[in-house]
Amino acid sequence: MSENQNREIEAREKAEVLTEDTRPGLLFKPDVDILEDPEAFMILADLPGASEESVDIHLEKGILTLDARVADPGGDSRPRYAEYREGGYHREFRVSDEIDAASVSARMRDGVLELRLPKSAESRPRRIEVAAA
Amino acid sequence: MNPFLRHATRSPRPFPSLARDIQREINHALRSFDGAYHGPRGVYPPVNLSESGDGYVLTAELPGVSPENIDVQIEGSTVTLSGHRKVEYAAGDGVSVHRRERQSGNFRRAFELPAEIDLDKARASHKNGVLTLELPKSPALQPRQIEIETR
Repeated sequence: MSENQNREIEAREKAEVLTEDTRPGLLFKPDVDILEDPEAFMILADLPGASEESVDIHLEKGILTLDARVADPGGDSRPRYAEYREGGYHREFRVSDEIDAASVSARMRDGVLELRLPKSAESRPRRIEVAAA
Repeated sequence: MNPFLRHATRSPRPFPSLARDIQREINHALRSFDGAYHGPRGVYPPVNLSESGDGYVLTAELPGVSPENIDVQIEGSTVTLSGHRKVEYAAGDGVSVHRRERQSGNFRRAFELPAEIDLDKARASHKNGVLTLELPKSPALQPRQIEIETR
């Protein structure tokens, strides 16, 4: 994992999610990485400004929904210059039936959500012993 | 002492003209202050600047960057943020990547603020992937009440 080490990063504009919503405020689509190993799928999502308590993960009918709110800092400061907007996050993922919904786990570290979606026992690769005749 | 707030020492800049170009860009942007959303500059990390009371508050979105990997330097009215964002996975046998949107790389940004900063009172904090710098203006620039002596 060293091919990107010396490359400058470019900021990407947060993509806005358009929903039919009655709640005020902006919603953005977070950047994610999706990985898979023999035991589980992993989703890593950048959620700057979102705390652990504000993140809501829901899995139903094969759709994993990720929601996070970002608290308004408040105060009487006057904005002078802005490159990013603040708002919540929303993204949906279609996940296969092989996920064991009961053992999904999540944690937050420095504004990054790490979701682990273990595969159910039946769908994990298994080594089949060939019995001698 | 705050672990990632360090007073700048005068060091030779490796790319003087590039630094000047960037500074000019930023100064231009700062002059067009109107509080509106200016849109992305394509430069990482995106920052917001606000003014309150006797100073400035600069915030930067740095998800996944731990405080040890962020360096903040203040010199006069110039604030420089630099560091490295590393996106790493527990690489192992049979790990496949289905989607990769998060980027790794080095970053360095310099901001010339409209006023000198009080180095002793500047504070930096880091929470939920957002870096916040509280930058009070130098006391010489702050309004002061002058006592009138009676004789």
